[in-house]
Amino acid sequence: MVTSVTNFSRSGLYDWMAQRVSAVVLAAYTLFLLGYVMANPGMDYDQWQGLFTQPWMRIFSLMTLVALGAHSWIGMWTITTDYLTPMAFGKHAGAVRFLAQCFCGVLMFVLFVWGIQILWGN
Amino acid sequence: MILFFGIIVLMCFLDKSLSSPTGFAEAKELLASPFVKFVVWGLVSALLYHLIAGIPHLITDAGIGGSLETAKLTAKVVFVLSAIVILVLGVWIW
Repeated sequence: MVTSVTNFSRSGLYDWMAQRVSAVVLAAYTLFLLGYVMANPGMDYDQWQGLFTQPWMRIFSLMTLVALGAHSWIGMWTITTDYLTPMAFGKHAGAVRFLAQCFCGVLMFVLFVWGIQILWGN
Repeated sequence: MILFFGIIVLMCFLDKSLSSPTGFAEAKELLASPFVKFVVWGLVSALLYHLIAGIPHLITDAGIGGSLETAKLTAKVVFVLSAIVILVLGVWIW
């Protein structure tokens, strides 16, 4: 099985770029959220909920969800193509890897939809 | 892989804490238990280590460094810096 058919963009160079760009978004969000929680000890529900209803925070959060999907897909693709190989699984490697990637893809999609629901559903 | 599955736990907390004032109080109560604190500390530590370890990659991509010597040095810096950040995080959580 040609492993590149399941990568993020069918181009290693584009994957490389997407991984870096999404990394910066994820890092910014992580540091912001950690910093915010640390800077506001004893925060109440209204302030916390208020933060996530701000339009810029919703944009930032949604951007992070998209980045999370891309970044984790590239990461899990790398792990599955590195370890779920014919050397480890013989002639069934293609099927094993494809099923593992399907599982990752479904989980990512669930996380994405769930994330939108957290942001807009409450 | 820990990060991939760990994010589910962190999103559970976000969901609960944003659902209602009751959910917020419940999430807060959960986070007060030593076991939950330990798990969250572990997950956020893994995340921060991943974040810090990624920075040298970005710098190398920008065309700076790239030799074996710098790689060995940055690996040590990443290790020490991560250890400090993870310790500070632990102190803050407890």
